[in-house]
Amino acid sequence: MGRLTRNVLVAGCVVLWLIPLYLLVVNALTPATEYAGKPGWTVQGFALGENLRTAWDVAGIGDSFQASLLYSVVCGLAAVLVAAMAAFAVVVLPIPRPAFWFWLIYSGTLFPLQIFLAPLFGLYADAGLYDTRIGLMLVYTAWAVPFAFFLIRNQMTTMPPELTEAALLDGASFRRIFWHVHVPLIRAGLGAAFIFQFTAVWNDLLLGITLSRSPDVQPVMAALTTLNNAYASTGPPVILAGALIVSAPTLVLFLVFRGLFLRGVTASAR
Amino acid sequence: MTGTATPASGPGAVRPDRVRRRTPVRRRVPVRTPHQAAQAGGGRLGGPLAALPWALPAFAFVGVLLLYPFLRSVYGSFFEDNGFTSRFTGLDNYARLADDPIFGRSLLNTLMWVAGTLLLPVLAGLLLAVATHRMRFGGVVQLIIVLPFAISSTATAVLWNFMLTSDGTVNQVLRGIGLDGWTQTWLLEWPQNTLSMIVASTWQATGLNVVLFAIGLRAIPRETVEAAALDGASGWRMFRHITLPQLRAVTVVVVGMAIVNSLKAFDMIWILTKGGPSRSSETLALSMYREAFRLFHVGYGSAIALVLTVIVVASSWMYLRRQMPDTGTGTGTGTGTVKG
Repeated sequence: MGRLTRNVLVAGCVVLWLIPLYLLVVNALTPATEYAGKPGWTVQGFALGENLRTAWDVAGIGDSFQASLLYSVVCGLAAVLVAAMAAFAVVVLPIPRPAFWFWLIYSGTLFPLQIFLAPLFGLYADAGLYDTRIGLMLVYTAWAVPFAFFLIRNQMTTMPPELTEAALLDGASFRRIFWHVHVPLIRAGLGAAFIFQFTAVWNDLLLGITLSRSPDVQPVMAALTTLNNAYASTGPPVILAGALIVSAPTLVLFLVFRGLFLRGVTASAR
Repeated sequence: MTGTATPASGPGAVRPDRVRRRTPVRRRVPVRTPHQAAQAGGGRLGGPLAALPWALPAFAFVGVLLLYPFLRSVYGSFFEDNGFTSRFTGLDNYARLADDPIFGRSLLNTLMWVAGTLLLPVLAGLLLAVATHRMRFGGVVQLIIVLPFAISSTATAVLWNFMLTSDGTVNQVLRGIGLDGWTQTWLLEWPQNTLSMIVASTWQATGLNVVLFAIGLRAIPRETVEAAALDGASGWRMFRHITLPQLRAVTVVVVGMAIVNSLKAFDMIWILTKGGPSRSSETLALSMYREAFRLFHVGYGSAIALVLTVIVVASSWMYLRRQMPDTGTGTGTGTGTVKG
């Protein structure tokens, strides 16, 4: 590839990739009442705060935002803890048939969500968990465990077994070995797993629209879908402001912890 | 393998005084291979059952909320079920799939998604990774391309809805540069609704492939490239015969992930077209949802879900095999250290 061709190609791609982001910001700035009925290419005003407030209060993104924050943080943490314990059992402890346990837990991440939905709905309707926060938290945790388990297990197999031996000889219990030897040493791996699962739960739409309905239970992506339909007539500024709100947490995580953020998905390529 | 394994790797991170203290008894210490551990150091480790409580929470979550629903779905696909009454019909649901024109269209759309994802995000990812490799500001370019990856597909879909509607940005640009004839009702007719959604997902998904390919490129030893350059290889020949073969491992992962993700694509389509108009842009993931939760054909929806699952698992098999070389054999954990 000639140097010039290459530079033109790369520059073209950068522009193509930036245009949608630019339009997102510029049109979210436009005052909703002054929206001209067609997309603006230049800054039409500065009503971002107002649009954000409409999306947050009137369109109900706010309630869902808090609910989703709860789901992502709690389920991310719970899943990482549960997965780390399982990885500890499979890698370090003398569990019988470790490969069986591995596949049992890991298989949860192979299947598309669709195969779980109908029975989950029935199960939740019977157990009174439909449209409750605790119900969504349970299913999100279960959904987040398999891949977190995979990431943490990979990390744990790279640790020298001498560490466990030494701790055992010093008379440490399993619990002590787990909390004082393994957890501190794979802190970065645990962080990567948490960020990955936080993002996965935050971005979920399908479980949200299937297992919940009311605004204060619905996760944020489901709320954005509702907003997208409800404000279709009044125009894009409020919808795009909503899209900005729901993207902010993952975008900030990405920009601050880029290495950890990508580590989850790139783990399989190394 | 002997009764007790001697660790292959050096004591590394362990403090020297500890190493000295445990050296004499080292051979009696069980190392991770469970059955050996149960014999040699069983009393110490509390027997094989001591580990179970550690795995049980994970198993409980996955078993109750994922594996049980999975099996229940398979079982339910043999029933005619409208959510209130159900009747055993054997393989009827699967027989119906074969004659259902909507399922046929859905399968075709799914194939278009897979082919389109392999063609656009994977190829563009490879191209951009090679183009920005060792380029000045290459890191910045990669950061910009991967930025949409940090945005959810729901938000991406909302943004692209704004661009693809009939009076959206895309048509505005086409009119602006005098290509009025090219303007389309992008989301209202098949096949351009499926195609434009594939483009929208390309915007989001390419960045990840760039990052993955970039990791692969960095792993290519410099010597190989220099040797090839000395032998007179450059440009296309260098890429075809040196770079590409070395990227094989990464390519397997990227292609596997691209196929699986395109099969699972739901959010984008649900928001942009809801599978419509008149179910023309549905993929299997959408058809299942519509049949089970909008039309209350729960058994039929489960049958579609099972077809989708079989396709997903079969197509991820290639890269799964690579991903876990040490668990597929049945000896399980820790082979990395015990092998030596």
